Amino acid sequence: MPGSVITVRRDQAETLLARIYLWEIVKGCVITARHFWRNLIGYMIGRRRTFVVNWPEEKVGYSPAFRGMPVLVQMENGAERCVACGLCEKACPTDCITIFPEEVGDGIQRRPKVFDIAIDRCMFCGLCEEACPEEAIVMSRRVEVASITKEGCLWHKEDLLTPASELPIRLGHIRNGYDRSPN
Amino acid sequence: MPKGTTVLSAALDAGIHVPHYCFHPKLSIDGSCRMCLVHVEKAPKLQISCNTAATDGMVVKTDTPAVLEARKGVMELLLVNHPLDCPICDQAGECKLQEFAFQHGRGYGRTEDVRRKAPKRTEIGPRVVFDQERCILCRRCVRFTAEISGTRELAVLNMGDRSFISTYPGQPLDNPYSINTADICPVGALLSTEFHHKLRVWFLNETPGVCTSCSRGCNVNVGGYKDRVWRLTPRRNDAVNDTWMCDHGRLNIDYVNDERRARGAALRTATDGFEELPFALAIRRLADWVAEVKAQHGPQSVAVVASPQLTNEEAFLLRRLVRDVWGTSMLAVPVPMGEGDDFLVRPEKAANGRGFADLDVPGASLDQVLDECTAGRVKLLYVIGSEMLSVAGEARVRRALSGVERVVNHDILPTTISDHASLVIGGCTWAEKSGTYTNFEGRVQAIRAAISPPGGNLTEGEVFARLIASHGGASEHFDADRVLRAIAASVPAYGSVTPEAVQPGGVATGDAAQPAA
Repeated sequence: MPGSVITVRRDQAETLLARIYLWEIVKGCVITARHFWRNLIGYMIGRRRTFVVNWPEEKVGYSPAFRGMPVLVQMENGAERCVACGLCEKACPTDCITIFPEEVGDGIQRRPKVFDIAIDRCMFCGLCEEACPEEAIVMSRRVEVASITKEGCLWHKEDLLTPASELPIRLGHIRNGYDRSPN
Repeated sequence: MPKGTTVLSAALDAGIHVPHYCFHPKLSIDGSCRMCLVHVEKAPKLQISCNTAATDGMVVKTDTPAVLEARKGVMELLLVNHPLDCPICDQAGECKLQEFAFQHGRGYGRTEDVRRKAPKRTEIGPRVVFDQERCILCRRCVRFTAEISGTRELAVLNMGDRSFISTYPGQPLDNPYSINTADICPVGALLSTEFHHKLRVWFLNETPGVCTSCSRGCNVNVGGYKDRVWRLTPRRNDAVNDTWMCDHGRLNIDYVNDERRARGAALRTATDGFEELPFALAIRRLADWVAEVKAQHGPQSVAVVASPQLTNEEAFLLRRLVRDVWGTSMLAVPVPMGEGDDFLVRPEKAANGRGFADLDVPGASLDQVLDECTAGRVKLLYVIGSEMLSVAGEARVRRALSGVERVVNHDILPTTISDHASLVIGGCTWAEKSGTYTNFEGRVQAIRAAISPPGGNLTEGEVFARLIASHGGASEHFDADRVLRAIAASVPAYGSVTPEAVQPGGVATGDAAQPAA
């Protein structure tokens, strides 16, 4: 009931039943068991009243504005769009991006030699995507990136490269949001 | 204010900001960029302040609406053909065009024409690349090669909006000071090949320091990031290097970032391998060896060869350790000699030979030490640095080392000396320690640690302090400032040298303290 306030009086002497504590445990077990059975029976007869997603077998759909982990956009020729300008590295509030550039071919263009994202530090804020002048780093829809090692949390350039064809929703969304093309 | 001072110089000295591109304090006046326009009272039009002499009673205004509008106009014209490639331009972050476009520009372009196309990368010299699209024709580089290096490789060819900077055919920009043109270039047109596409400059921590490649001691900014030194750039000091430095000194940083740098300390095992051991044990071991050798063969059987790249503070502690605590006079400080020139480069290829001499550190010549080693009279040789290899030659050093029972090598890289060593202690470079150097004319200048040493190496000063402590001396950590005060108290010539006084331009001692005749 919104707005109702329960005042907890810890200084009041508790009843004997509460002090024995066993009865309270039984009460808690009954509540849990009631939810379990209700959910299981509902699942078997196909009429569930509790909202449950059986992850990872079931997944929910995300909105177009959803921000998963940042990835690097790969062009059709396999190269990255990134020119290693370092603006995302500078914009990143958690300092999780590390870039070292290198020259490409004729020495005019450049690309990242090292592009590492410490995904355990990333907070999925999307400022890197907003800073990027090349639409080269975008927030994917990928969130299941947990790892049990520190090394597993460090994503290198090869791991981050994602073909542009796999990112149509987000690319469309940011073109609506902060388009950098003239006019 | 001396006669002939320009309005711009006077304004800059007074701390008044007047934007400018072509003006440089160490070059002649060009007046080509038109960015420094100011309002001079009673003058019919705006004047360029870089080429207007300041006179008594002159009234100059730098922020009238007409001046601001003129700056906007100049910026707009400079930007008409400037490429929009700041994200991949190495100058971005320290670019005057960016800064002034931000401060004085309009914020948007009014032209619809396609920007001019020009060669994006010309190797105009072995160490400098040129991007013609970015050039704003301020001619600083042309004046540098004409007035400072005197080599005259660069010129402006063609006229009007077709003009461009170029070298003469068959004459690349290849003088010992060529990268200075990249420094003075206000935009990203001239860039150092070495630093090209290496790192965004805003990630660099610029620590004021001193170049150690010769005894001139050019003032530099040490650009450190992620425990690497990425570049050196000259820092203005009119008493030493103006705003210049030589290419060799600037590029002589690879050994700092070398993968093979000695990390920690290692002891040679019976099977001729090396076994790592903590610094405390290595220092204890060296102290024990010295005590043992001294007891058996007398103090003169212990010899030390020290590097003239050590700071004054370290030299002072080394003198106390070797001459007073160990009691041996066999302490040589070989200074490598090379070519000098009549501008900045000095023949002594070490930072602190003068400091070692001023503090009276050397007690013997390298020849004496090596001869004693070859004759087998030296039982323990403690080598700091590897300068003796280039001074005496590999063969002679190898012969001398094979006559010594125990060689202790305290260095940053593996060399012939560490091949012979029983104990190897990893050292620190100038980028990793604080202290002072004395340049060839006696100017004491400070360096500060820009990066942390590899493998947790102790600085040489800390090792010397702990060695003194393990021989029963006062146990205290190495603090460069405290040692410098001790030097000032005990060396008369360094009486005025205090940690506060050496920042930022250094303190003159000896001949340098005398006014120029």
